[in-house]
Amino acid sequence: MTMIGLEIHCQLTNLNSKLFCSCKANYREFEINENICPVCMGLPGSLPKLNQEAVKKATIIAMALNCTTPEKIAFFRKNYFYPDSPKNFQITQLNIYGDTSVGGTGSVMVGDKKIRITRIQLEEDPGRLIYEGSSSKNQITLVDYNRAGTPLVEIVTEPDFETPKEVRDFLNILSDILANLGVADPSLEGAMRADANVSIEGGKKVEIKNIGSFHDLEKAAHFEITRQKSHHSRDIEIIQETRHWDDKRKITISSRSKEEELDYRYFLEGDIPWVKIDPEIQKKLQTEMPESISSKKQRYVSKYNIPAQVSDVLSSDKYYSDLFEEAHTESNAKEVANIITTELMGLVDTREKRKASKFTSTHLRDLADAIQSGKVSRNSSKNALHEILKSGKDLSTVISELDLGNVSDESELSGFITQVISEEPQAVEQAKSNPQTINYLVGKVMQKTKGKADPVMTRDMLKKQIGV
Amino acid sequence: MVTEEEIEQVSKLMKIDIDNHKEYVEKVHMMINYFDILDSAGVESEEISMPEISISKLRKDEHIPFDDKLIEKLNHYKGTYVRAPKMSS
Amino acid sequence: MNLNISALDYIQEVKTGNISAEDFIAKTIERIQSVDDKLHAFLSVNDDAINQARVIDKKIKSGEKVGDCFGMPISVKDNMCIKDSKTTCASKMLENFIAPYDATVISKLKQQDAIFVGKVNMDEFAMGLTTEFSAYGPSKNPWNMECVPGGSSGGSAVSVSALECVASLGSDTGGSVRNPASFCSTVGYKPTYGLISRYGLISYANSIEQIGPLTRTVKDTAFMLNLISGIDPNDNTTMDNKNEDYLSGIESGIEGKKIGIVKEMMGEGIDPAVLTATKDAIAKLEGLGAVCEEISFDMVKYSVAAYYTITATEAGSNLARYDNIRYGYDFPLEGYEFNSYISKARRNFGPEVTRRMIIGGFVPSAGHAGKYFLKALKVKSKLTKEVNDAFKKFDFLISPTVPILPFKLGEKIDDPVSLFLVDINTVTANLTGKPAISIPFANSNGLPIGIQLMADSMNDKSLLQAAYALEQTVSLPEVPI
Repeated sequence: MTMIGLEIHCQLTNLNSKLFCSCKANYREFEINENICPVCMGLPGSLPKLNQEAVKKATIIAMALNCTTPEKIAFFRKNYFYPDSPKNFQITQLNIYGDTSVGGTGSVMVGDKKIRITRIQLEEDPGRLIYEGSSSKNQITLVDYNRAGTPLVEIVTEPDFETPKEVRDFLNILSDILANLGVADPSLEGAMRADANVSIEGGKKVEIKNIGSFHDLEKAAHFEITRQKSHHSRDIEIIQETRHWDDKRKITISSRSKEEELDYRYFLEGDIPWVKIDPEIQKKLQTEMPESISSKKQRYVSKYNIPAQVSDVLSSDKYYSDLFEEAHTESNAKEVANIITTELMGLVDTREKRKASKFTSTHLRDLADAIQSGKVSRNSSKNALHEILKSGKDLSTVISELDLGNVSDESELSGFITQVISEEPQAVEQAKSNPQTINYLVGKVMQKTKGKADPVMTRDMLKKQIGV
Repeated sequence: MVTEEEIEQVSKLMKIDIDNHKEYVEKVHMMINYFDILDSAGVESEEISMPEISISKLRKDEHIPFDDKLIEKLNHYKGTYVRAPKMSS
Repeated sequence: MNLNISALDYIQEVKTGNISAEDFIAKTIERIQSVDDKLHAFLSVNDDAINQARVIDKKIKSGEKVGDCFGMPISVKDNMCIKDSKTTCASKMLENFIAPYDATVISKLKQQDAIFVGKVNMDEFAMGLTTEFSAYGPSKNPWNMECVPGGSSGGSAVSVSALECVASLGSDTGGSVRNPASFCSTVGYKPTYGLISRYGLISYANSIEQIGPLTRTVKDTAFMLNLISGIDPNDNTTMDNKNEDYLSGIESGIEGKKIGIVKEMMGEGIDPAVLTATKDAIAKLEGLGAVCEEISFDMVKYSVAAYYTITATEAGSNLARYDNIRYGYDFPLEGYEFNSYISKARRNFGPEVTRRMIIGGFVPSAGHAGKYFLKALKVKSKLTKEVNDAFKKFDFLISPTVPILPFKLGEKIDDPVSLFLVDINTVTANLTGKPAISIPFANSNGLPIGIQLMADSMNDKSLLQAAYALEQTVSLPEVPI
């Protein structure tokens, strides 16, 4: 039996400041080493000052993953030397003296399967190493500390996964949950990373590190299972070790770390007292927690009669569900859901496109209302949507500028109808004897109005004028 | 009993080259031997306690940039990078 | 001009216009120039001090608001950051380190118009109790130049004692303020853990150490505490003292107070002169209406071993950042691999720091933590319980600050374990977080003896009242330099 366990690192990208100082949590828009201060650079004499919101957000994550949440949490030092770590230790969490990590045991359902969570810990991200030079001989190591101290939540699972596919499904669900909680934007580059522990029956546990994306994680797990099985079949011992994922060659490579380097000498971080999160605060966090994805889905189905599949898609992506929540009314909910899932999804499927678009929930509401009231045809609404995404102009401006509005003014419409009747005497005669064929004339009116005529109104007026 | 090998291993762990192992072994040995007294303190059942702080007393989540260009006061290289030694592969 | 005045007297004199800050600072700098060649209290002197004094004098003349210190010259142990000044921790490792920010205590004192005359000597990274482990050479005891001044805040004690400043900031991890205060005949204070912000104090053993003032009088210490204590958002371990005024009511006396005489701190190895002085102090306190009674703590016997285990562990981690990559001293990295570079760079630590780092790697390591580090933490917990229990009965605890007299330079430097025992009376306050003070009390053949009083956490104010009462019973000779 194959067993895979995960250690997922997720940055709390929606915080304003780092875990232990007031530098920015989202370091991505800074020049090299511009987002640093004495604290995150670990300068002599500096002390960590813990971010209250980071503890709260981490606690909320623990709650959302059904983990136990202790009343007191403690921080520990993990001691090791590496140039991306300015203090040469990392402040992290551990359960040496009872459950003092921000989250204890919990679970997440992936389809019908329960994946157990071992622990959730709050810790600091290191800086970033950049290697220059082509060969190892002329290699130069450069460090950018902008990321150092970014709040990170590490989610450790039990080895409950049996296939790489389960791993991928879990990670998709997890990143939807984290986005829905409003604690992180998992689509940001480097915001979510994971290490995997892989073992097969009769073999030792192998840890795979340095996996850049979830996509690669699935590949790495797959590679590692194949490698171990092939070893096993040839009676080669599978040793307990750490292997690195080679991004270029798409294989795992043994990293020869020496025994003594693995002694992290964990001990309590004296600069941070144990943090009390008493029951009232826990309760408050629980009640303030955003509605879960599954509860949203249920509500969409039962309250608005939106099909389950549509509800599923709508609820699991926070961007869409937020739009839906803000745009919908009792009467237009189905139409709003329809626009999102049939039109919008194809247009804003990446983070970049979403960021570039000027589309708001007001646009969405106006659009749904306009379709329902017959102000624009469904056909024209697509053109309107494209234009809004580009320009951000409001719907009424777009309709008038692009002349997309339905011709529902009786006198205007009657002009077109008179014109068609005089141009198509044969068809008129035919319609008189066979009313079904009136659709041909409706079509002609639509042509003349470039699809903007209200079809129902056109038919009624045609019937009147021809006299059927 | 602390051996010379152990001292050497710890000096590697702590990343300090030491020239004269013998001298260090002797003094460190004396010091660590003295710690053996802890064995007779009879504290096995004691719990470890720590100061506490309420979550509400912790820092608010605000971005306040440091008021100086800190990197200019530290070792820097190629603009504003920090340079580290070569990493072993 | 008399440099031998208290901080409060200095302020009074400047306030009333009897002396100017500039004159006093100039005289102080002259004094440093004339005596510090021999004493070596200072690692660097602030060459802008006289200008700063002039600015303060101008403010006084023009009637502008002036801070409470009125240009009072203060020396600062070289493990506290003063923005744009060298902060070396008396180590070659930080030979070129210029602090880019102010420690909280420094910004507080700057706001009160204190003048920092210089950074003073210490044992490297505060590891030691003689100041002999400074990478820049030892300081000498102004009472007897052949003797050590104590440590690790030796430069602080020497500078106050030898009239090179009016007050000093030291740091106390296991007695590092009180021990040199006792050896140099100054007041030395270790506050309740968390009373003074450590932000900007370079950590040695962060879970137990505190910044503390060294002054000529107990009142001066209370005055300094008023300026530098209190909660600090930059240090999560600080406590809210509600802006306590430590000076008000300091003359309240100690009538009816109960004082415990710590048996284990007056036993084996104590110098007869120290014992006599302590008994004398107890008699004086009783004369003032206090009730003294012996008390015994089982854990004191283990306190020094626990102390060194904990401090070495924390130091091993706190000093890991000194890898010479982001700051430090000149040592080019070309051609080195990371591990070999930092291992070579870190040879710039002196032998005592290196020894303690090796111990700090050993005692908490996977194979040994259970035998050493965890036991040490448990001794700390149990000792705290014992002391807490004692304070249910007693208001204060008394002992000599150091069981022996100042000793000769070089006398104990090669015997780490005999040096350990010099700490026996002071480490308890650190391990338990309690406030403690050393008061100059006697002089034996020219060598100072200090008495230590300890109180319960956050009882700093009443501790200072007791110390003041004892201080009033004392008359001591002037420093012979």
